[in-house]
Amino acid sequence: MSKAQPDIPHGTLDLLILKTLETVGTLHGYAIARRIEQVSGEGLRLSQGSVYPALIRLEQEGWIRTEWGMSETNRKVKFYSLTRAGRRQLTTEVENWKKSTALVARFLEPAT
Amino acid sequence: MSARRVFSNLLALAHKRHLDRELENEILAHLELAEKDAMDRDLSPEEARREARLRFGGIEQMKEEHRDRRGIPLLETLFRDFRYGLASIRRARAFSIVVIAVLALGIGGTVAMFSVVDAVLLKPLPFPEPDRIVCVWEAPRPGVVNATTVAQFLAWKRSATVFDALAAEESISAALNEKSGPTRLSGKLVTAEYFKVFGTDAALGRTFMSTEDQPGAAPAIVLSHAAWKTYFGGDPDILRRRVFLDGEGYQVIGVLRPGAFDRDESQFWTPLVFTPAQKSSDTHWLTVYGRLRASVSLAEDRQRMQAIYAALVQTEPIADQGGSIAMEPLARLLVGADLQRSISVAFGAVLLVLLIACANVANLLFAQGGTRRTELAVRAALGAGRARLVAQLLVESLVLCLVGGAAGVVFADILIRLANPVLSRSLPFTAEPVLDFRVLAFGLAVLLGVLLLTGVLPALRTASGNLVDSLKQSARGSSGGPVRVRRSIVIGELAVSLVLVCGALLLMRSLVRLQQVETGVRIENVVTASLDLGANAYPTPQKATLFYQDLRERLQTIPGVRSAGLSTYLPLEWISNGEAIQIAGAEKPVRVRFKRVNPGYFRTLDIPVLAGRGITDRDREGTARVVVINQALALRLAEAGLKNPIGKMVRLSSTDYENNPRMLEVEIVGMIRSERTASPGQPDPAVVYVPLAQSPNPHVKLLVRTPERGLALVPMIRKAVNEIDPNLPLGNIATMQQVLDDTLLPASRPAWIIGAFAFIAVLLAAIGLYGLISHSVTQQWHEIGIRMALGARPNDVLSQILRDTLATVSVAILLGLLGALALTRVMKSLLFEVSPLDPFALAAACIVMLLIGLLAGFLPANRAARADPAATLRDVG
Repeated sequence: MSKAQPDIPHGTLDLLILKTLETVGTLHGYAIARRIEQVSGEGLRLSQGSVYPALIRLEQEGWIRTEWGMSETNRKVKFYSLTRAGRRQLTTEVENWKKSTALVARFLEPAT
Repeated sequence: MSARRVFSNLLALAHKRHLDRELENEILAHLELAEKDAMDRDLSPEEARREARLRFGGIEQMKEEHRDRRGIPLLETLFRDFRYGLASIRRARAFSIVVIAVLALGIGGTVAMFSVVDAVLLKPLPFPEPDRIVCVWEAPRPGVVNATTVAQFLAWKRSATVFDALAAEESISAALNEKSGPTRLSGKLVTAEYFKVFGTDAALGRTFMSTEDQPGAAPAIVLSHAAWKTYFGGDPDILRRRVFLDGEGYQVIGVLRPGAFDRDESQFWTPLVFTPAQKSSDTHWLTVYGRLRASVSLAEDRQRMQAIYAALVQTEPIADQGGSIAMEPLARLLVGADLQRSISVAFGAVLLVLLIACANVANLLFAQGGTRRTELAVRAALGAGRARLVAQLLVESLVLCLVGGAAGVVFADILIRLANPVLSRSLPFTAEPVLDFRVLAFGLAVLLGVLLLTGVLPALRTASGNLVDSLKQSARGSSGGPVRVRRSIVIGELAVSLVLVCGALLLMRSLVRLQQVETGVRIENVVTASLDLGANAYPTPQKATLFYQDLRERLQTIPGVRSAGLSTYLPLEWISNGEAIQIAGAEKPVRVRFKRVNPGYFRTLDIPVLAGRGITDRDREGTARVVVINQALALRLAEAGLKNPIGKMVRLSSTDYENNPRMLEVEIVGMIRSERTASPGQPDPAVVYVPLAQSPNPHVKLLVRTPERGLALVPMIRKAVNEIDPNLPLGNIATMQQVLDDTLLPASRPAWIIGAFAFIAVLLAAIGLYGLISHSVTQQWHEIGIRMALGARPNDVLSQILRDTLATVSVAILLGLLGALALTRVMKSLLFEVSPLDPFALAAACIVMLLIGLLAGFLPANRAARADPAATLRDVG
C-alpha cells in the first residue's frame, strides 16, 4: 500500500502538479518534482517518486499530455504539459481548494 | 471513474509490459538527473547516488502504486487467477486431462446430438415462408390419406383459391447417357408450379414456365446444383446443352441454387405432362404440394378445400362420396413419428451422459478440493478473503470448462462430419445437421450449465467450513462431509448409467429378435441391382421381354452364377397395393399386392413351391395366363369362398406396360411359402406373382445368386447388361444382406446409438467410482495401517473395502432399476417382441454394473491390502 506522505495534504499532489505545469509549461518528471520542492521552500518533504503514479493518473484523465524529449543527461524521457481539459480541471480544483480551506479556516478561527 | 479512464485503464492492461518498461526508464532518468544535481552541489558520486535514491523514495512501492493507478485491480486479479488456473491445470496434468476429456466427451456428444435435433425438429424448413407449404391428399376415409388422380388435381387447381401455387410430382429414374457411360439418376416429373411451391429459384437459367407442362411443349429439364457439379463438372455452358435421358433429348433450362434440394434424392426435374388417358384415369398416383396464400389459419383453409370437394362430388364423377381432402404442413410430414421418437430418445440419452460427465467432473473437483484445503487454508490464514478463494476456485473450473468446452466443440464437429453421410439417408432432405451459431449458442448454454453444476458446488464446499481447522486436521485427513456428498454423486452416476445400460440391452435384444425373424427367403450371396428400361429404347412390351430373356441367358453364362431372378420388387421390400382379385360368385374382391417375377426368382431366393407349380419358361406371351399365390393369399381366398385355389380361374386387376389399368383372366397354378414383404412383426400381406413375360414392366430388380459373398461379380453383371444395351445403367447395387440391414435401420440405429452412450456412461461412472474408492482409501491410509499393525490380514482390508464398494453399487442399482421402471413407456414403442421389463436384459445390466463396480473397487482395495503397515503409519497424508 502506498505510504501516505504526512507532509503533503491528502489529494493535493495532483493540484500541485497541474499548477506547476500551468506556470512553467512543459517539464519532465524530475523537473516537476524539483519545482514543487523549490516552490514550497523546504516546508514540504516529498518523495520524488510519488509524482509518477500521480502523473499516469492525470494523463489517463486527459488533463496532461506527454511527449518524448531529451533530458539534460541525454536520455529519452517523457515531457508533460497541460491540456485544455487540464486547465479547466485546475480552475475547478483551485476553487474547490479555496472553498474547503476557507471552510476549515472558519472552524479554526476563534469564535468572534 | 470516467469512461475515458476505463478505456485507458483497459489499454494499460493490454500494454502492461510496455508501460512497465517506460516507467523503468523514467525512474532511471530521474535518478540520473538527481545524481547530477547532487554532484553539482559537490557531493561525491556515492553520496550523490545515495541522496538521489533517498529523495526518490521506495521504488518498488511507487511501481506498485503506479500499476494500481493505471490499471483495474479487480480485472488484474481475475487475470492472475486465470493464469493461476492455467498453471494449476498444467501442474495437475493427469487430473486436468481426465476432467477435460470427460467434459469434451459430454459436451461434444450433446452438441452434436443437438445439431441433429435442431436440424430435424426445431429449425424451420430451408424454404421461404415454410409454414405455407402443405401436402394435399385425398382422404377416402377419415384417418387414411391417399395419392390423388389427375382429374382431382386439375379440379383443385381450377377452383381452389387458397393456394398461391399447387403442383403434383411423380418420382422416376432415368439413364443419363454421357461420354463416361450410362448412369442411373433419380428424378421427378413435376407440374410447372412445383418450384413456386417451394419458393426455390435457379442459380443459372430459370425454373419451369406455366406453358411447359402443357402437351406439345419442348422437353425441358432442371438440374439440382449437386447433379450439375457431379455429372456435368459444373459446366458454365450447361444452358446451351441438351442432355439425354433414356435416349431422349432435353433442353437444360436451369440449375437450382445449392441447398436443400441437393440432399433430396432427386437430381433432375422434368415437366409432368398429362396424357388424355391419364386425365380420365381413376388411378391415384399423384403426390400434391401447395403453397397457401398468406392465410389466417390452416383450419380455415381446410374448410375451404372441403367446400370445394363437396362441390366436386356434385358435379364430377371423380370424387368419393364419403371422402374429403386432407392438408398437412410439409414440416410435420417430413418428420415421421418414428424419427421424432428415435431422435428424442437419443437426445435424452446424450443428456444423461452429459449429466454423468458433469457429476464426474464435480466429483473430481471435490476430490481435488479435499487435497487443496491445506493450500487454501494457508492462503486464508495469510488474509485472503473467502470470496476471493471461491472466486479463484471458480475461475479454475471456468478454465477447465472452457478448455473442455472448446475440445467438445471440436469433437462435435468431427462427430457431425462423420455422422452426416450415414445420417443423411434417414433424415428428411430438408434437415442438414451443421455446427452453426444456433448450435454453438446451445453449446455455450450447456457450458454455463456444466460450469454451474461442476464449479459452484465444489468451490463453495471447498472454501467453506473452518479452513483453519482443516489446516490443523489435514495432515491426518478426515473429511467425512465431502465423502458423503461424493458418494451420493457417484451413486447417481451409477444409477443413471444403469438406466442407459438397461435401455441399450433392451434395444440390442429387440434388434436380435428382429434379425431372427424368418424372412422366407435365402439372402446369403445374392447381389441385387435395379434396371429401368427407357420408353424410347423399349417402346413395346415385346422389346422388354426380349431384353429380359437375353439378359437371363447371358447372366447364367457368368462362371459361378447359379441362378438369376428378375422381379418388380425386391424381397423384403414393401409392395404397393391397389390391385384386387375377383372370385366368380364372390361379392367383394380380395385385395392383393402384385409382383411380377421371372422363372428364376423363386429358385434364386430358395422360396419353396408348396402346391402346384412355380413360374416356368413356358409362361410367356401367347400362352395361357397364369399366376402363383402366397400362403397368405390362399388363406384370404379361402375366407372369400375359394377353398382349393390351384387350377381355378379368377379375374385380376393390373396395369399394362404403359401403366394403364386392365383386367386379366388368370389361372392359379401354384402356391409358394410366403416371403416377408411387411415390416417384421406385421402379418404377411396377400401377394400374387405374375410371370414377367406375360405382363412385362420397364422397371425391374435384378437378383443374382453368386458363389461367394460381396459384390465381386458386379462388373461381370454390368458387362452382361451392356453387351445387350450399352446405354443401360445398373442402379442401387447392393447385396441382399445390405437390403435386409437397411430394413432394420429404424431399429438398429437407436440400438447402436444408445449402446454407445451407455458404454460411455458406464465408463464415466466407473471412473467416478474408482476415484471415490481410491480417494477414501487414501484418506483411511493411516487407519488401515493401524488395523494391519494390530493384526488385520490383507484379506480383511480387501473385503472391507469391497463391502463398502458393494454397498454403494447396490444402492445405485436399486435406484437405477427404479429409473428403468419409470421409462418403460418410452422404451415400449422402440422394442420389438421384447418387454421393457425383460428380466434377461435387466439382470444382465445389473450384473454388468456389479462387475464394473467390483473392478473399480478392487484396484484401490488391492493397493491398500498390499501396503506395508509400517510404511502407511510413517506416510501420513
